[in-house]
Amino acid sequence: MWSEKYRPKAIDRLIGNEESRLVLSAWLSKWKPGAKAALLMGPPGTGKTTFVNLLAKENGMNLVDLNASDVRTKDMLRKRMGEVMGTVSLFGERSLIFLDEVDGLAGRADYGAVEFIKESVKESQNPIVMAANDPDSDEIKKLSSSCLAVRFRPPPPREVEMYLREVARGEGLAVGEEELRRYVRESAGDVRQAINLLQGSQQRSQGGDGDSRGRYKDTDRTVSEAFNGFFGAADKEEALASLRAVSMSPFEKVREMHRSVVKSGLPAPELARALQTVSSADLLIGRMMKSGEWRMLRYLDRLFVEGLFPLVKGRGVKYTGQDDLPFPVLVRVWNDSKKIREISVKYAAKAHTSGMSARSQDLPYVFALCSKKQFREGMERALGLDADPDVLESYDKFLQKEAAR
Amino acid sequence: MAKKRILVGGWFDLPRVGRDVFSALMKQGVVYDKAMGFKLDSGTDLQAAVRTVRAAAGEEVELTLRCFVCGKESCPGCPYLSSCDRTRVSTLCLCADHAPEKSVFDAYSETFDVHLKA
Repeated sequence: MWSEKYRPKAIDRLIGNEESRLVLSAWLSKWKPGAKAALLMGPPGTGKTTFVNLLAKENGMNLVDLNASDVRTKDMLRKRMGEVMGTVSLFGERSLIFLDEVDGLAGRADYGAVEFIKESVKESQNPIVMAANDPDSDEIKKLSSSCLAVRFRPPPPREVEMYLREVARGEGLAVGEEELRRYVRESAGDVRQAINLLQGSQQRSQGGDGDSRGRYKDTDRTVSEAFNGFFGAADKEEALASLRAVSMSPFEKVREMHRSVVKSGLPAPELARALQTVSSADLLIGRMMKSGEWRMLRYLDRLFVEGLFPLVKGRGVKYTGQDDLPFPVLVRVWNDSKKIREISVKYAAKAHTSGMSARSQDLPYVFALCSKKQFREGMERALGLDADPDVLESYDKFLQKEAAR
Repeated sequence: MAKKRILVGGWFDLPRVGRDVFSALMKQGVVYDKAMGFKLDSGTDLQAAVRTVRAAAGEEVELTLRCFVCGKESCPGCPYLSSCDRTRVSTLCLCADHAPEKSVFDAYSETFDVHLKA
């Protein structure tokens, strides 16, 4: 495989994420015990793992690679990381501890794992690097506040083209400009995919089978064109091809699909079934996050095609876009969400339940009861919302508004 | 709607924004300097920040990237301009003077080494 043959052998032969690579290289060269850990955040396939491997190699360090989804509890982490963290070789050589897919630490079973990492970092005799696919998850936000957090993104098309030309030059190929650009567009920033497409076309032109991976990718489309391509597709294959061209994280894909379905104007029974499919997709993502089984991602698009496409086919459903709410409304939603989160934390502590249960099960009823002034004031006192008169006033207004819903 | 062009890594102005918007921008990793203004960089959640800036400025926002080799604006004349989502790709690119067809990979790698040693 050319993608293996041309896998970068040094940090300066990687493409994209130049600033992140420089920041991390400087971090490691200046690292000393007690310094922060590094956290690489970015979608799969953006070169996080390759970069960390090369970083260890170029700094003469031994890489200790742990997949966080395999060691999800505090005890397991302590067992696997404990020895490595406190060990330096006789000659003072350090190891680079790499904790991949720390998104896998999310969930109740992992209680304590994130805290353990945060504490361990301070005591470790070896630098720790973590990688996560979803920077927006709560666990990752918790971690990133105490780490050197850097983002990894797909390289821009021109850099992919540069690398593809380098591969073509290495293979002694004369590939037309338009052909190269087509592979760049179809690969959507995935360098391996671009190289596979180039290799496939060369093998086909030489009479071989060729590698047809990525034939459904059509990233010359915008997100809205790809979504609208899905809603307006003639058959399931076309719908699947369109959905695969959506260049978004799975979480965003589910969220955008939800928005479009909600605003689709489908009759109630179809709408219910469509939302059921979106809900299943959301569950799939949740389970994937909990277990760290990123392989399940391959079922996401198929789930939409099998469950949702037959319901929307020929109904004129359109992609609603990401900015369907006016900004002042979005700000209000953010503020309200923040208040609900704060209240649920205080309520959960009093009611000996989790914040999630408080939000989903208890608070809707509690808010309804807040229409009675006496109850509302009692609750404000019980939750300690009355400590500051200004804060109390804002909470009181919020509770009245929620009660009036 | 008017279009506001923002160079990623360069400073730009916004009309006075409220506390909520400012707080949202800071959470999204936008850099602020009282004298210079606002800046989007590699640590910024570009998609969210662009949405917020668009709403705050009341203008469409078009991001442009800088050339990693020479630092010039790289997007004008790029053949991928229409299909490249600059909020999703990494924040430096190559300009027309250092376009891929000019076999710039070695120059690109050397530039990286120069920055690394600096």
